[in-house]
Amino acid sequence: MQPFDLKTPKSLDEAIAELPAERSYTAPQILAGGQDILTVMKDDIAAPEALVEIGGLGLSGIEMSDGGDLRIGATTTIQEIADHAGIQASFPAIAEAAKSIASPQIRSQATLGGNLHQKPRCPYYRHSAVNCIKKGGSVCLAEFGFNKYAAILGGGPSYFSHPSDMAVALIAMGASVEIQGPSGTRTEKLGDYYVGPEVSVETETKLKANEVATRITVPAPAKGSVSTYYKFKERASYDFALSAAGIHLLVEGGTIKYASVVLGGVAPKPWHSPEAEKALVGQPMKAETWTAAGEAAVADAAPLDMNGYKVHLVKGVLFRALESLA
Amino acid sequence: MSSKGNTSGADPSWGKRSDLEVLNRDIRRVDGPDKATGRAVYTHDVRLPNMLHAAVLMHPVPRADIRTMDISAAEALPGVVYVLRVKEDGKDVQYSGDDAVLAVVAAESPEAAMDGVRAIVVDAENKEPVVSTERAKEPDAPLVARRRRATSNITSRRARGEEDAVKAALEASAAMVEMEIEIPVQHHVCLEPHGHVVDPGGEGENATVYASTQAVSGMSGAFAGKGMLNRKASEIRALTPHMGGGFGAKFGPGLEGRLAAQIARATGRPVHLVLSRSNEFTMGGNRSGSKQSLKLGADKTGKFTAIHVVAERHGGFGGGAFPGAPYRYAVPSVFVDTMSVKTATDSSRAMRAPGHPQASFGMESVVDQIAYALKMDPVDVRKKNLTADTHHRQLDRVAQEIGWNDHPNRTAPGTPKNGRAVGIGFGVAGWSPGGRDCQCDVTVHPDGSVISATATQDLGTGARTYVAAIVAEELGLTVDQVTPRIGDSDLPPSVASGGSVTTGSSAPAIKDAAHKMREALEAKLEPVLQAPVGGYIWTGGRVHSEEDPTNSLAWTEVCALLRDPLQVSGRFQKSLYEGRIHGVQAAKVEVDTMTGRVKVLKMVAMQDQGLPLNRMALRSQINGGMIQALSYGLLERRVFDESDGYLLSDNLDLYKIAGAQEMPEMVAIIDDEDERDSVCGMAEAPIIPGQSAIANAIYNACGARLTRMPFTPDNVLEAIHGEV
Repeated sequence: MQPFDLKTPKSLDEAIAELPAERSYTAPQILAGGQDILTVMKDDIAAPEALVEIGGLGLSGIEMSDGGDLRIGATTTIQEIADHAGIQASFPAIAEAAKSIASPQIRSQATLGGNLHQKPRCPYYRHSAVNCIKKGGSVCLAEFGFNKYAAILGGGPSYFSHPSDMAVALIAMGASVEIQGPSGTRTEKLGDYYVGPEVSVETETKLKANEVATRITVPAPAKGSVSTYYKFKERASYDFALSAAGIHLLVEGGTIKYASVVLGGVAPKPWHSPEAEKALVGQPMKAETWTAAGEAAVADAAPLDMNGYKVHLVKGVLFRALESLA
Repeated sequence: MSSKGNTSGADPSWGKRSDLEVLNRDIRRVDGPDKATGRAVYTHDVRLPNMLHAAVLMHPVPRADIRTMDISAAEALPGVVYVLRVKEDGKDVQYSGDDAVLAVVAAESPEAAMDGVRAIVVDAENKEPVVSTERAKEPDAPLVARRRRATSNITSRRARGEEDAVKAALEASAAMVEMEIEIPVQHHVCLEPHGHVVDPGGEGENATVYASTQAVSGMSGAFAGKGMLNRKASEIRALTPHMGGGFGAKFGPGLEGRLAAQIARATGRPVHLVLSRSNEFTMGGNRSGSKQSLKLGADKTGKFTAIHVVAERHGGFGGGAFPGAPYRYAVPSVFVDTMSVKTATDSSRAMRAPGHPQASFGMESVVDQIAYALKMDPVDVRKKNLTADTHHRQLDRVAQEIGWNDHPNRTAPGTPKNGRAVGIGFGVAGWSPGGRDCQCDVTVHPDGSVISATATQDLGTGARTYVAAIVAEELGLTVDQVTPRIGDSDLPPSVASGGSVTTGSSAPAIKDAAHKMREALEAKLEPVLQAPVGGYIWTGGRVHSEEDPTNSLAWTEVCALLRDPLQVSGRFQKSLYEGRIHGVQAAKVEVDTMTGRVKVLKMVAMQDQGLPLNRMALRSQINGGMIQALSYGLLERRVFDESDGYLLSDNLDLYKIAGAQEMPEMVAIIDDEDERDSVCGMAEAPIIPGQSAIANAIYNACGARLTRMPFTPDNVLEAIHGEV
């Protein structure tokens, strides 16, 4: 890790003013909980000349409106989200995603914004000596190398699987992200916010270098709807998702009326699966339907040498997730 | 302890178990509070005045020509004091490991040392890495074996047995199973990486080496000599008050010790050189991988007829370990063909029962499979082919404890319901723990304080505690009345901790010293209590004559008879040791056949070892064996990129070890039917069969035979669905 300046702006506008117009290896970056950026620096993925601290700028906190809409500030810690009684009651998928992340120590320090913007965990990307396509090199070494953990959907030209748990659950719940930059604020649907490597190989979201994601908003779920985040970790104690599913369902009279299905750990971005949703809506809430949703979700999967098992795994994960909502 | 039957000059004996007041009980570790609170100072924690911090530069791929290495920018950095060039320009790197160390930077702070490492500019031409054994075996693969006249990366090939006769016996067998086994390389993953703090001492002073080592007595000599500190062994003191795990990887100073010594000598300053986790994974050693083709035959009663094994040892640049076949079971007709397949990767080292878990996994897998092929109970088939009574009684007890007798699928695997299935599997172990010469001094001061001193190191086993407890037992004291001194090369020499030799060597020496001290004190008591040496009972902090219990003195009164401190020396006594042990384990698992998740629900291990010195420490060792085997079976795997040769698993993110969520209910059973009047170490046996029992439990649950470790979802789903 290279030496850096720590900037401690007094306002969000001051923070944004410290941010660069373009990203680069040495360009300043945001510091919130530090759980990803510091590892990025230790792994020599970036050596920002400055870190711009956005803690203490009023970006943290959880609010629920009388109508049940949820607003979570970007610097709210993952543990606060996991512990929030209102989220647990109305948005179980979001609370479960938070609870599934890393360790208690990391959850207590890591922030929602940091989780949504964390960099890939691909071992090639994280290896100091490797210059992969995401670090400006010419090829994705995982494509023909060690790709056990790589994407089976949406891969190319890079094949990492996106590591965020919160993004999967939030997208399933229809969340949006509020963004502030030098020219004001804007809002994006979180489902449209992530971009695949075919659009941008070096970044994973539409966030510009001089913008800060300030808040996540989630609409109140339909009355009677249910949700879950089912995370399958290779090491149950502490791991990123080998495969995960964020699901929001409305079941009436035993028939699925509405379904939102987002998969994690299988694509370079949180993977919305309209195919699985189509296989669910209008069908009875039972095992055959869950199996069909799994088949539909992986119909277009294109596994690499070592990750064909994920095709089976996704089906199993979707089955178990749906089963848990029955 | 009481002394019934002990007479003057009697040999020391562990005594009747019913008479023991300290040993064969649960004894809390004397250093437990220090370790739990962080007061214990490990090598990594040592900070000396004027100390330099060193960091290592390694070439990131296994094979390369180093054209030039420019260290000038590193030398010019503020805080950098010394840059040691390890690899000269024009030399090559031959393997990922010690040979990939290019330079070491010593600086005023760890951060400056790392900045220095980063500032070194290397111009190298990387070559084909040869990290996979499949590639290494190909005729056109570059030779990595260094041996002269080597023509292949396959070395040390040795066949034993009549192959034709074995083949004929297999064909004539009522049942025959064949299996291809693949076991990846495992790392030791010691909590404390390899390393030392080397203090060369000032003019006219001795040198001190703080070492994370399994062999503190040998360290003075190992750090003497020209390439090291260039001092006499008598001028070097090695200290290992605590060490954070070794498991066989920490016997000598290693390259890291040599480099620390060289920098200490060159700068005249203490040097802290402890490997980073990445260095540790690259050059700290490993348990060799293995590939085995096994064929086992049995007659229709389940008695084995013949076995044919071809086994590769994957020890990287080293030879690897494999104890041969058949492993633990009696088979009349045997053919075994073993070989090392060399790759340009770090050499394997000893690791807790070297080669045995690998051999167990191959053997126990075919043993299990042939039982089901014969539609027989796998416990019965094991008993038919194990000769030791100890194994039989342990199998019965472990089967009972794991719930085998009420288990529905005892002769055929189960069928998952809603994708879930529960199964039980077994494995057996065996070991010959060593015992050899070792010394101990016991000192009693006139004020009643007692010191028991031997140079041994406590690898986390609880050795420090029995160093005190054995003396306390002999003198009728409590453990806290005896101060144990260990981990110091100035103390009476002890053995290097390898081959489960520590307890078998040092406990008899401590017992011998304690016994001599007791006799020496009894000689002083003769005029006071009027009984001969050997005629006293030492218990509850008092001594009385055997004839007249009212004729007694308190411990402090006994010691007050001394004018000066009294010291005696003990040595290893063969009569107090016997090195032959067994062991059986069982695992109960739940398999989710939809996701490939294997959850180990319960493990049971039973172990014999003669007299249990400290039952709590013993159960801890058995639990530790189960945990390490579970982690090996479920998760651990070293990963290299095969085309460029990067070690991708040089971190605890990708090199996954089990955590709290993986832990099953664990039952450690001490085999109390083993009534031998002897002691020995036992820590290697319980690491051997756990992963085999888990694989057999997976098969028992759902009929998926895991032939490739670890049992991660990719391998489990492949075993269920075929090629995925």
